[in-house]
Amino acid sequence: MAKDMTLLWGSGSPPCWRIQIALEEKKLQGYNQKLLSFMKGEHKSKQVMDMNPRGQLPVFKHKDYVLNESYAACLYLENQFGGQGNKLVPECPAEQAMMYQRMFEGLSLIEKILHVVHYEWKVPEGERHDSAVKRNKEALTAEVKLWEGYLSKGPGPFLAGKTFSLADVAVYPSIAYLYRFQLSEDRYPKLAAYYNSLKERPSIKTSWPPTWLETPDETGKLKDI
Amino acid sequence: MAKDMTLLWGSGSPPCWRIQIALEEKKLQGYNQKLLSFMKGEHKSKQVMDMNPRGQLPVFKHKDYVLNESYAACLYLENQFGGQGDKLVPECPAEQAMMYQRMFEGLALNQKMADVIYYEWKVPEGERHDSAVKRNREALTAEIKLWEGYLSKGPGPFLAGKTFSLADVAVYPSIAYLYRFQLSEDRYPKLAAYYNSLKERPSIKTSWPPTWLETPDETGKLKDI
Repeated sequence: MAKDMTLLWGSGSPPCWRIQIALEEKKLQGYNQKLLSFMKGEHKSKQVMDMNPRGQLPVFKHKDYVLNESYAACLYLENQFGGQGNKLVPECPAEQAMMYQRMFEGLSLIEKILHVVHYEWKVPEGERHDSAVKRNKEALTAEVKLWEGYLSKGPGPFLAGKTFSLADVAVYPSIAYLYRFQLSEDRYPKLAAYYNSLKERPSIKTSWPPTWLETPDETGKLKDI
Repeated sequence: MAKDMTLLWGSGSPPCWRIQIALEEKKLQGYNQKLLSFMKGEHKSKQVMDMNPRGQLPVFKHKDYVLNESYAACLYLENQFGGQGDKLVPECPAEQAMMYQRMFEGLALNQKMADVIYYEWKVPEGERHDSAVKRNREALTAEIKLWEGYLSKGPGPFLAGKTFSLADVAVYPSIAYLYRFQLSEDRYPKLAAYYNSLKERPSIKTSWPPTWLETPDETGKLKDI
């Protein structure tokens, strides 16, 4: 069970956090885990490369089944361990459809966040343009407005409807990432309410990124979004 | 059932094609559908925008459940209609884990392919750099080598193992797209064998992009990958 699982992870990384939340929700505590540092380049270490030729975190294995893709890990865990912990895929077709749709829209959200927040990391100096920075910010603003709309329209309080689901497991870490970089809580009140309401959920509180508890984010990159 | 479903799609678009393959596999023929043209900008038409504020294809609905994200639609269809047509999620945990993992790695493949093929469409003229073009091509080359390795190592003949699964539904359209742009069959023989072996599968043959039957691709953008 959990003893046959291994997670190599980095603090704050949404894909890593998704798997941790899923493991908590499915009552799979006690898995083997190791916290690595992106800053120190440990995601390119031999240990990681041996288990993930892409040189990325998370690295996740159950027995010798490789599930480095976080959505793959979450879907697999719910499928294999559906009978324990909280049920994460609703039976009701309407809620189930909404869950899947929001899960995958969540990939657009994190992509647009990273285009803004990781711009200097990803784009070599000679290829950077103010026009691109502007366009990326506009795209993220539009995306955040879309999610504010989704949460306003509901039905809530969770992303798929009235029950916590894989949509929240997948997307909450990305939404929390917005606030780490100081997205305005006033400008998008429904999104902020969602973010704050889930902070105390055990699976989320337990797995909250340790580096976020230690230091406040000082860059405020998303303050003006 | 199928009569309660609507698909707005564009020819050759992998996300659209994935849903068509899934519908065929689940014996859900007879859905309402409309072929639209990206070239004519019909993906930004009022009809599409009303159903998908992102102005993207596919647009897919079952009753009033919106499932525009192709992976969402495929997972939903297998979950709701698992009892009919071919089973697309293996029971065996090893094969199931492999299926999920490859499904999501397929997103990396699609992204890197798009970064090369759509470079001029996505990046405004003043922001283009030979260094970026080169880097994108190298990333795609590395990605393709990874998939050639996966298919060489097996167990095959399908992406998850011995049965056709959602991994093939999700990833085959992207692989076919590589050959549309004339990826070399000699350089990556296992990938080519996989591509050719599935051409005759009914769900794939039936839904083969109509514009690909009409005209050969002449740009050869991936010839030197």
